[in-house]
This record gives sequence, C-alpha cells and structure tokens, in this order.
Amino acid sequence: MTPEVVAAIDEIRALFSDSVVGSEEDGEGGAYVTVTGLDIGPHYEPAIASCGFRIMFQYPRADVYPHYILGGVKRRGGQSCQGVQQVTWRQQEALQLSRRSNKLNPATDTAALKLVKVLEWFRNL
Amino acid sequence: MNIKLPISLTIDEQLFSRLQSHLFPGDYDEHGAVIAAGISQTARGTRLLAREIFPATDGVDYVPGTRGYRALTASFVAEQSDYCSSQDLCYLAVHNHGGIDSVAFSPDDLASHKRGYPALLQISNGIPVGALVFAKAAAAGEIWTTKGVFPLEHLTVVGKHTRRLYPSPQDAPRRSKKIYDRHTRLFGDIGQEILSGLKVVIIGLGGGGSLLNEWLSKLGIGHIVSIDFDRVDITNLPRIVGATRWDAKTWLTASRWEWLRRFGKRVAAHKVHVAERVAKKANPAIIYDAFVGDVLDAPTAELIRDADFIFLATDSIRSRLVFNALVHQYLIPGVQIGAKVTSDKYTREVTNIFTATRLVFPAVGGGCLECAGAIPASRLNSEGNNVEEQRAQNYVDDPQIGEPSVITLNVQSAAQAATDLMMMFTGLFESSADMGHIMNFARERRLNTVEPSPNPICPDCSTTKGSRKAQGDALRLPCRMRGN
Repeated sequence: MTPEVVAAIDEIRALFSDSVVGSEEDGEGGAYVTVTGLDIGPHYEPAIASCGFRIMFQYPRADVYPHYILGGVKRRGGQSCQGVQQVTWRQQEALQLSRRSNKLNPATDTAALKLVKVLEWFRNL
Repeated sequence: MNIKLPISLTIDEQLFSRLQSHLFPGDYDEHGAVIAAGISQTARGTRLLAREIFPATDGVDYVPGTRGYRALTASFVAEQSDYCSSQDLCYLAVHNHGGIDSVAFSPDDLASHKRGYPALLQISNGIPVGALVFAKAAAAGEIWTTKGVFPLEHLTVVGKHTRRLYPSPQDAPRRSKKIYDRHTRLFGDIGQEILSGLKVVIIGLGGGGSLLNEWLSKLGIGHIVSIDFDRVDITNLPRIVGATRWDAKTWLTASRWEWLRRFGKRVAAHKVHVAERVAKKANPAIIYDAFVGDVLDAPTAELIRDADFIFLATDSIRSRLVFNALVHQYLIPGVQIGAKVTSDKYTREVTNIFTATRLVFPAVGGGCLECAGAIPASRLNSEGNNVEEQRAQNYVDDPQIGEPSVITLNVQSAAQAATDLMMMFTGLFESSADMGHIMNFARERRLNTVEPSPNPICPDCSTTKGSRKAQGDALRLPCRMRGN
C-alpha cells in the first residue's frame, strides 16, 4: 500500500475505535477496507452493519466512493432511496451509496471524514 | 548522496524574473539572495530544481564584507540554510556581477566558499550546498557535495522562452544539414541545434501521439521517448501514423475462430514500435527509446525525470495526475492534448465536439491541470474500477465500447502542441503571447483560450508545505505500487 493509503486506514481506525477495521491490498497500492459494527440508524434492519469501500492508490487526490453497506441490510418499510442501489460488491450483497465529492480538498477531505459524512447522510435518508 | 555529473539548475521563468529584478534593479551594484532547490539524480546528470528564492535585503542581510565587497550576513545564511536542511532542499547562495554574457567567481568569492561551505555541508545532512553568480545573461556556479566540488554546467530557465544560461558564450552552432535548410530560415542553425539536443517524451501513441511522433522526428528533435502499453488494433488504422494491417494482424483478428482472434491481438505490433519505425524513417540519426509500459507505473514514469518536454496524449485522467506531478515536481514543461465527442445519453445525438491543447509550465498560473479542474477526483476513483464496478456505478452504459475518434480532431490539438514546443525552445513566442489552454469547438468553429486560475494552495504548482513544486526525488510520484 502507498504511505498515504496506510495513513488513511490508520486514521479510520483512530476515528472508528469502537469498530473493527479490516483492510486488504488491491495490488496497485490501494486497499479494500471494511469497517464493521457501525450504527446505521433505526430506519434500517439490522441497525448495526458493516461498510466497505476501496481507497485507490492515487488517494488522497482520488475521491473515496462509492461506499457499500454490507450484509443484506433493508430499509424498514421497504421504500427505495435516491442514491442507493442494490449491487454485489466483492461477492457480497450490498447497498451501494454513491456520494461523490465534487470539490474535494485532498488536505482535509480524508477517507475517515468521508465515511463519517456518508454514514450521516445514510442515517438521515 | 551520490552525485551524477554534470550538475545543472532549472528555474521557472516567474521565479527567474523575480531573481533578475532583485539582482539587477538598474543600480549596477551587487545584490544577494538564496535559492532553495530540490534535487533529482538522472542518467543525464544531477538536476537542481529551484523551488523558492529568498532575496537578501541590502544593508540588512547583504552588507559590506570584511574580506570581499559584500557578503550575506551570518544570521541570514543560518536562517536560510536551516530552512533548506529542514526541507531537504539544496542551499544556493546567489549574487551578481556586472557584464552581460560572461561571468565567473572572483578570487574573494572562491576564498569565501572555502571558508564557509565545508561547515554548511556538514549541517546539511549530506545535501549539496553551493553558490551561483549571475551576469544579465550568464550564470556560473560551484556545488559542494560530500563527493567533491563541481561546477554548475548550465542553468535552464523554463517558460515561454525556455533557454540555457552558461558561464560564457557557447561555440557557434554547427551548420545544419541541408534537409533542414527551410527550418533554419525560420530559427537559424542555433534553433536547429537546440531542437537536436532535446529529449522529448510522448505518452500515448494513439491518434494524437503518433502524429506528434512523426512531426517531431521530422522537426529534428534529437531524442524521443515513447511510452504506451497498447498494441495496434484494426480500428486504429485510420488514425495511427504508419500503422499497417500487418501491424494489426488483421487476418488473425478477423478470423471466425475466437482463439485465433485472441492470438492475433496478442501478437499485434505495439504502438511504440510502429512509432519507432516511423521516427527512424523520418530521421535516421534520432535516438529513440520505445517503452512498452504504462506511465501509471513508477518505473516507467521515472524514465521521464530528465526530459526537456512531455506530451501527454492519453485519454486517462489518472495519467494526467502523473503528468501534472512530473511537470511540477521536476520542472519539465509539457502539454496535454485530447479530443472529445459528447453525445446525449438517451438519443445518442452528438452534442459537442472539441479538442484541447493544455500547455503546462511549472509555475503558479502556468496552466496547472489541477488548478484548471482537469483532474477530477471522482474520475481518479472511477477509472480504477473494473468494468463491472463501472457498470454498477452507472458511469457509462458500456465501458468496453470505445469513444468516437477521428484523425482530423487529433491533428487540431497535436499541431498546436508541436508548434508550441518549437516556439518555446527557439524563442519565437512574442512576450505578450497568451499561453492559456486552447479549446477548439469544431461544431461552432470557435476557438477559446482558457486563462489559468491558480489555486494558492494547489498540491502541485504552489509552494505550500508538502506541495510537489520542484521537490525532485524527495517525493513519490502518484503511481501504482505493484507487488507489495
């Protein structure tokens, strides 16, 4: 992994200290990251889930998206939401959350902060 | 630190103008400054890369000397040398003499180097230190390293008129070959000699790159490095200069048997080898390095560190990031070319046809692709995904279907880029020439120049902490790290 990707994963571990953060090299210097035990809010069943995403080797210049909510999570009431679609990610059923950062500042918009923002958005859908 | 000879210094035109204004304000007196420079070790020698200058204030930092005419104060030297060593930059003390095209250190200068530089070298963590002396159109230097003391061979000013300064006038150019007679009527034997001394890199040998390759060879560029991983395909034949059906192995790739089609694709000629054949036909004396590789891989990108100019002729945003890094980190001017056809997602009707020629100088406001918004963070991400992921994310209907491409559009952007190179190195640009990015909208027959909008904290072109500007080998390029 590139030093920037390693630092990003360390920051995620520090910020999500109550969760388990797993990572796997993607063969290019980036990583597939999975954060488990996340509270995704009362609108979803189950309310605790994992989130996966890929950090590319050109991070922090490359945006981190989409994020994938793993483990067959369903919205209570069953209605669909804009920006969320059912996909398969790395052989797992997942909800794909496509939240692009159009004005990304590589110095401040880190992978950890992006995850915080995406989860916040998903909880409040 | 191992030092490869010769040693040169490269400085962008903006920084050079600031330095010149400080050293030559019109009072015919002597003035001083410090240059903080990055370092790059290349096969062509050691390149010092000017990142910042610190003008010494007369009477405060630059005062009458006890042994020589003037000297930098001990506190100014200490402050600047501390800064340089904390940033892993090379400390270069600068002053000026009178005269125009010849300059040399005085005996007092050389004596002061002997007194001061061994101590400075000890506190610089092995990074070279040195001194430069300027006349208006000449520069000489002495670089102190742990392996010895070496002269500065030349100084390159990179900008609208990219040129070299030497300690004294160079020998008159040799008479150019007869075939270049019409060239020399435009830019003289000296212009032709400058072109023959250039090492130019072309990244991407598709439609645009293959045109550049042929024109630059005919122009008399002495050394071309071409980089592309791709092989010739039947659909390339209407665009790639010199490519034949034999290169594309069309009798195999058109076979009714799948295995034979696959075999044909595997044995088709690499685009760089077609380009090499074309270039050597145009100029048998050319030095040509054809690299089958991807600029996204560090070993390939690092081949470019000692180039004089870079052409980027690929469609990829990820390679734009590497190109922009190379331009600013190693102070190598370059140009990105491309053609784009956009269409309505649903009706498939063509909505826009345009070509872009984006000249990039390594200076604030020099056309940085990052500042121009030409390296979207989202595309750096999406281009890394595989076809299934791209489909899932609805980036494209089918990422395996190629984009429209026509040779006449390639010509439009490539011709401007090749002419820009010629004008820059032969000094033919007007000083008022607008160096903005050029967009040509074919449907409207309209030409636009996009002025630079520099970001003061740009991670590539600014000098904010950690930015790439002139950092040389101290920073990793934004390339793939394979096999780790």
